[in-house]
Amino acid sequence: MKFRAVMNNSSPIREFSTIVSTISKLSKECVLRIADDMLYFIVSDENTGPAPPVLWCEIPQSVFFSEYQLVGMDETHQDIYLGLNSGNLARSFVSLKNVKSLKMKLTKKQCPCLTLEIEVPSTTSHQTRQIVHDIPVAVVPWKNWPDFYEPRVPDPDISIELPSLKQLRTTIDRMRTMASEVMVRASAGGQLILQIRADMAKVSTRFKDLNVAHFDGPVDNSDPETDSQGNEDSSEIVQCRVDAKKLALFLNVDHISTNTTLCSIVHKRLVTLCLQTDDNVKLQCFISGIVY
Amino acid sequence: MAEDSSQYHFTASMDSGKTLCSLLKAIQFQESAVFCALPEGLKLTVEEGKCVQASAYIPADNFTEYHVRDDVDVIFKISLAVLAECLNIFGSGEEASLKMYYKCEGSPLLLVLQPQSFRNVMTDCEIWSQTPDSMLELRSPEETDVAKLVVRAGALLAVLGDVERSADVLELRLQPEPPHFTIVTYGMQDRSCIEVPECSDTLQSFSCERELTLKYQLHHLRLCMKALAISNKVVLRCSSTGLLLLQLKLERDDNKHMFSEFYIVPLLDD
Repeated sequence: MKFRAVMNNSSPIREFSTIVSTISKLSKECVLRIADDMLYFIVSDENTGPAPPVLWCEIPQSVFFSEYQLVGMDETHQDIYLGLNSGNLARSFVSLKNVKSLKMKLTKKQCPCLTLEIEVPSTTSHQTRQIVHDIPVAVVPWKNWPDFYEPRVPDPDISIELPSLKQLRTTIDRMRTMASEVMVRASAGGQLILQIRADMAKVSTRFKDLNVAHFDGPVDNSDPETDSQGNEDSSEIVQCRVDAKKLALFLNVDHISTNTTLCSIVHKRLVTLCLQTDDNVKLQCFISGIVY
Repeated sequence: MAEDSSQYHFTASMDSGKTLCSLLKAIQFQESAVFCALPEGLKLTVEEGKCVQASAYIPADNFTEYHVRDDVDVIFKISLAVLAECLNIFGSGEEASLKMYYKCEGSPLLLVLQPQSFRNVMTDCEIWSQTPDSMLELRSPEETDVAKLVVRAGALLAVLGDVERSADVLELRLQPEPPHFTIVTYGMQDRSCIEVPECSDTLQSFSCERELTLKYQLHHLRLCMKALAISNKVVLRCSSTGLLLLQLKLERDDNKHMFSEFYIVPLLDD
């Protein structure tokens, strides 16, 4: 087993660091899967243990690394899966302001470690300083790999472009103080509606004129829970009730500068937030629906 | 919301609900408030343990449109926490226009908010209304003021901030002779005394008929600190029964004013 990769440019290092710090905000533990063409950060729900991942982030290695060597476990298991504390990894990147190069490798010290060797130019001379971080990792045996495979999700009934994440997060944060669950609704007409029912109030925020990337209607909304508002046809509205705290947590990803963010909803079952950067980094969050 | 406004008991709109929100937060030491729409303005009142009554008063000219049916009383109880949270739904950095609708007794208060910088977003809130509790009549109409002070709100806030936190009693000493205005606090082990001379710019006006010594719970006075922080001017009035009334004026950029009022019951000598 061998892994060695080098980043030479400060802008990919910075972007990589933003991704890592975002992941560390979402979860304490994560799994780093190293494959031939991609790096994956995978987070499972901490409460339910090995279950389908709730966060799936894929990073094409060629965009970030100038050197990339990987030798897997054996002929049939060519990837490496490492369990690590995402906070440790994120903190190793904090010291980086003005970095010349970053080398990442798998080492065996007292325990298996992901070692980061960071080269920082000195402000006073032409020499460089070197910073080494050893992050203890747990190598995941291949028997357990299936726990971290890409979740198979049903085809969404609708995929709608999200409004500004910052704005969305402020609204969710306010709603969260009043209710623990939020109903996410998206209509084929390009509306995204967030709705809560609290003890004393009902609040709904609607975002209009959003791009609908995909709609697979009509949807069966025959149960009494749906109170269609306005004059929109209820068969064109896809909805899912989710935990407001989880949704707010995932909206923390607003630090990553994104190209597109999409919200896909499987009617009453799943909300998927997917964001894609200009460098083809793809981050997906899966928030399962709450059904009574 | 295209219906004719005359079928509503109360409708109002304003360009930004931000100032209103901060005023409501300033009196938000109770979960619920009594919401009362009078022809001349909107008033929200909360009470703390029958000792403090605080209200926010927004004169009708703060609204771009304000309408109360004159043949009905518009008064109901509402969750102040939820109302303030709804007004702030787009975050404190965002100015959002506000419309309020109240159809009739028993119907919810409807709010429609739309941020000024993003036109494609809108929030509807329905906040349930409840039957109001009866409010205290702390001051009878024939009671007169025996002392009246006009103070800069910031200065009074600073004084209250300086007062030792562990003290529980605050004493106001007012007298026609110097030192006119003294604030004394009694704590566990200490007694502190702040004298405010009449010539200081803290005290903008002072009138007092006779020497007065009045004691209040410091905790009660501290309840108005949030309101002091957003106000410009405060008028303190002491009635013949010792009831303290603080009237705070919040001046907005557009020369409109909002007010808050705190009635505080005095401590009796034992």
